[in-house]
Amino acid sequence: MAGQLLINLIPGETTLHKLTGTTKVRFFIVLLVFIIMSFDIRLLLPLCILGIVGLLSMKPNWKVIKYFFIITGVMNLINIFLFWLVDPDCGAIWCGGGSTVLYQFSGRFIITAESIWYLSVRFLKMMTSLVISMVFILSITPSEIAAGLYSIKVPYKICTIFSMAFRYIPDIARDFDNIKISMQVRGVELDSKKASFMTRIKQYVLILVPLIISSFDRVGNIANAMDLRGYGKGKTRTYYSEREEQKADKAAKILYCGLFLFCIYWIITKNIMPQPSKMWYPFS
Amino acid sequence: MKKPIIEFKDFGFQYKSQREATLHNINLTVYEGEKVLILGPSGSGKSTLANCINGLNPFSYEGKITGSLKIAGMETKDASIFAISKNVGTVLQDSDAQFVGLSVGEDIAFALENESVPRQKMIPKVLKASKIVEMEKYLLHVPYELSGGQKQKVSLAGVIHDEVRLLIFDEPLAALDPKTGMYAVDLIDRIHRESNKTVLIIEHRLEDVLYRHVDRIVLMNEGNIVFDDVPDKLLVSGLLSRYGIREPLYITALRYAGCELTEDTGIADVYHMNLEPYREKLLEKEKMKVERYEQEPGEEILRVSEVSFAYGREEVLKNVSFTIRKGEKVSVVGKNGAGKSTMAKLLSGIHRPAKGNIYIKGEDYRNYSIKEIGERIGYVMQNPNQMIVKDIIREEVELALILRGKSREEMDDKVKKTLQMCGLYGMRNWPVSAVSYGQKKRITIASMLVLEPEIIILDEPTAGQDYYHYTEIMNFLDDLNRKYGITILFITHDMHLAIEYTDRAIVFSEGELVADSPVYKVLSDDKVIEKANLKQTSLYELAHRIGSDPENYIEQFIAYERMIKENGRSTAD
Repeated sequence: MAGQLLINLIPGETTLHKLTGTTKVRFFIVLLVFIIMSFDIRLLLPLCILGIVGLLSMKPNWKVIKYFFIITGVMNLINIFLFWLVDPDCGAIWCGGGSTVLYQFSGRFIITAESIWYLSVRFLKMMTSLVISMVFILSITPSEIAAGLYSIKVPYKICTIFSMAFRYIPDIARDFDNIKISMQVRGVELDSKKASFMTRIKQYVLILVPLIISSFDRVGNIANAMDLRGYGKGKTRTYYSEREEQKADKAAKILYCGLFLFCIYWIITKNIMPQPSKMWYPFS
Repeated sequence: MKKPIIEFKDFGFQYKSQREATLHNINLTVYEGEKVLILGPSGSGKSTLANCINGLNPFSYEGKITGSLKIAGMETKDASIFAISKNVGTVLQDSDAQFVGLSVGEDIAFALENESVPRQKMIPKVLKASKIVEMEKYLLHVPYELSGGQKQKVSLAGVIHDEVRLLIFDEPLAALDPKTGMYAVDLIDRIHRESNKTVLIIEHRLEDVLYRHVDRIVLMNEGNIVFDDVPDKLLVSGLLSRYGIREPLYITALRYAGCELTEDTGIADVYHMNLEPYREKLLEKEKMKVERYEQEPGEEILRVSEVSFAYGREEVLKNVSFTIRKGEKVSVVGKNGAGKSTMAKLLSGIHRPAKGNIYIKGEDYRNYSIKEIGERIGYVMQNPNQMIVKDIIREEVELALILRGKSREEMDDKVKKTLQMCGLYGMRNWPVSAVSYGQKKRITIASMLVLEPEIIILDEPTAGQDYYHYTEIMNFLDDLNRKYGITILFITHDMHLAIEYTDRAIVFSEGELVADSPVYKVLSDDKVIEKANLKQTSLYELAHRIGSDPENYIEQFIAYERMIKENGRSTAD
C-alpha cells in the first residue's frame, strides 16, 4: 500500500531525508518564492541543477516519478509551443525590444533568437519548480509537513489536517473498493466496454452513498479517539516526528535565511522597480 | 484500606437526543487495582457507562447527568475530558479509526505530543510503552502493515503512560480472531498484574474474558446494574440466560449432564476448577446415545479445483480444492490474511484464478461475467452500511433486478417472495435508516437472494453482535437453509457459530487449505487449531480433564445441542 504512494510515511535515510520538518518546509517556501520571482537563467539553472543533484542523492524510485517528469515535460512543451503559436515574436518585449530572425516559415511565423531564449527560460522555470517540489515531496513525511507548518506559526489544528488526510485516504480507498465489489456482484456494470460513460457516472454516484455514510461513522470514532488522548487541550503541542536540529539543519538555516534576504533584495530591485528590460538577455 | 477510584452515587445519564435516560440509579464503586468486567447485551448501557467514566459523555455526546460520579476523587460534572484523560486511558473498539498516527511510534506518542512533552523526553516513554505491549520492533511501521491485533496493542500503548491509573477496554475482542483474542486477554491481565492499574473491560463475550482471572463482574441490563459480584456467583446464578449473555460452553456441558453447579468449585476457571463433584455425571452423560443428525448429501453445486491466486508476486492461495453440495452449511475459517476473503472474491468472480478453475453446477465459470456469477453465488459483506445504497427497503431489494432489466411483473413477484422469506414484507416501504443492524443485515441478504442464487457467502455475519442479535441472525439463516434449501458459506472467526450452525469447516492457513472436515474434528485437531489461529474450546479442556476423548466429546455435545434446539423448534412451531 505505502509503496504505491508518492509520499513517504516513514522518513528515509539520506541527508535530505534526515533534515527536520521545519527546515524542509521553510526551505521549500523560500525556494518557491525564489522560483516565482525570477525569470533569469542565472538564478534558475543553478537551482535546477542543485535540485537534480538533491533528487539523485535521495535514490528515489524512478519508476513512480518518471511519469511525473514525462507528463509535466510534455505539457510544458505544448504550453510553450502554444505561446509561440499565439505570438512568434513573444521574446521581443522581454529581451529589450529587438528581434533577430533566425528562420522564417511564412508571414508572421518566424523563429527569433529572443523567442527561443524566452521560451527556454520559461520551460526551465517550470521544470525547476517540478524538480524542487519533487525533492520536497519525496524528502518529507506528512507528519513533518505538519511539524514544519507549525514551526511557521500555522495553528496546529490546521497542521493536523495534513497528517490526518494521509492517514485516512488509504482507508477510504479500501472502503471504496469493498463497496465497488458489492455493487458489481449485484450487477452494477463498471466495465468501460459494456456500459456507457453516463451510465458509469450514475453507477459511481450509487457507490458514493454508502462510502459517505461509512466515512462519517469513521470520523466520529477518530474524533473520540483524539479527544480521549487530549487533542486540543493546550495552545501548544510538540511533534514526535520532528527531530532535533543537526549540523545539516544549521547549515541549511544559514542558506535559506541568506536566500530569503536575497529574494527580498531581488523583488524590490527587479520586480517592484521595473526596468525597461524585463529579463537578463546576454546577446542584446 | 482500599482506595476507591470510581464512585457512582445514584448516577443517571440521559442523552440529549433521547427521550428516556440510558442509565438509571447507578451505584458502583471500583477500588484501585481491581479488574472488573462490565457485562451486558447491546443497549444495556455498558458503553454509556464507560463513556461517562472517560468523559466522552457529556463532552462528545451531550446529555444530562444526575447524581454523582467521582474519578479518583474528582467530580466529573465539573471536570473537562482532558482532566479526566490524565487518569483514564481508553482503548476503543475500532482499532483502525483510533490509530491516528502515521507510524506506530507517532501513534503511541500522540497523547504526549498533546501534552507538549519535549521530544527528548517523549522517545524513552514511547519505547517503554511499546515494550509493555511487545511492539518495540514495529515503531517505524505504518498502520497499513499491521494486523487488527497489533493495532489494538498500539492503541493500548498509546494510553498506558505513567500517570494513567485506570484503563478501559471497550469490547477489545470484537475484531480479533480467537487466538489473538486470547492473547489480548492475557496481555490485559499481565499489564494489570505488573502495573497495578485498575482495569475495566466492557464485553459481552464472557467465556473469552474468563480465560484470565477477573475480580468482579458487573452485569448490566436496560441501564441498571443487575449483578455485581465475583464471577463464580454469576455462573451458578442462572442470570446469564435471562439477560441474553452466552454462558461458557463448559458450563452448558455441565448443565446438559445434569450437574448441580456450586460456586465453591472454582467454576469460573475451567483449567483449575474442581471437577470431582461433576465427573461421574459428565462421564455418564457421554455414554448416552444421541441420535446424530446426518445430512443427506445433495448434488454438487460448486467445485473449486486446484485454484491458485496471487496479488502481484505474493501468492495468496495455493492449489486449493473443495466441493460444496446443495443445502450444506459450511464455515470457512482461518486467521486474517490466510486467504479466506480472497477465496470469497474468487468465488464471486471479482478475481479469477491464476491456475485451476471453479465450476458452478459443472459449468466452467470462466464463461460467466461477474454479473452472471452474481445470479448464482451471492456475496454478502460484513458491514451492511457498505452495501445499502437506496432509502427504501423494497427499492434496495429490487435493485439487482432493475440492473438486469427485468419486467415490472417479474420483479414485483420475486421481490415479494424474497421479502416474505426474510420476514421483511411488512416493512417493505420503511426507510432503511429506521431499522436495526440485524434487519439491515437481512436487507443485504435479501438483496442477494432476490436473484435466486445457488449459494450465498456471508462474511462475518454476526461480527460485533451480542448473543441475542447473534441468535436472531443465525436462526434466520438457519431457516433459510432448512425451509428453502439455500446453501450457505460462512466466513468467520467465531467458533461458537461454527459449532452451532455449520456441519463442515474448511480451514485456511497461509493460503493453503489445511482441513476440510466436520467441525468437531477440526476443533479437536491440535495441529489445525495451531495453524489457523483458532483456539481450543473449553469443551476440549473439559473432555481432556475428565479423561475422555475430545473429538468424541465435542461431537456428542454438538449432537445433543442440536437435538435440544430441534425440540425447542418443534414445540415452538
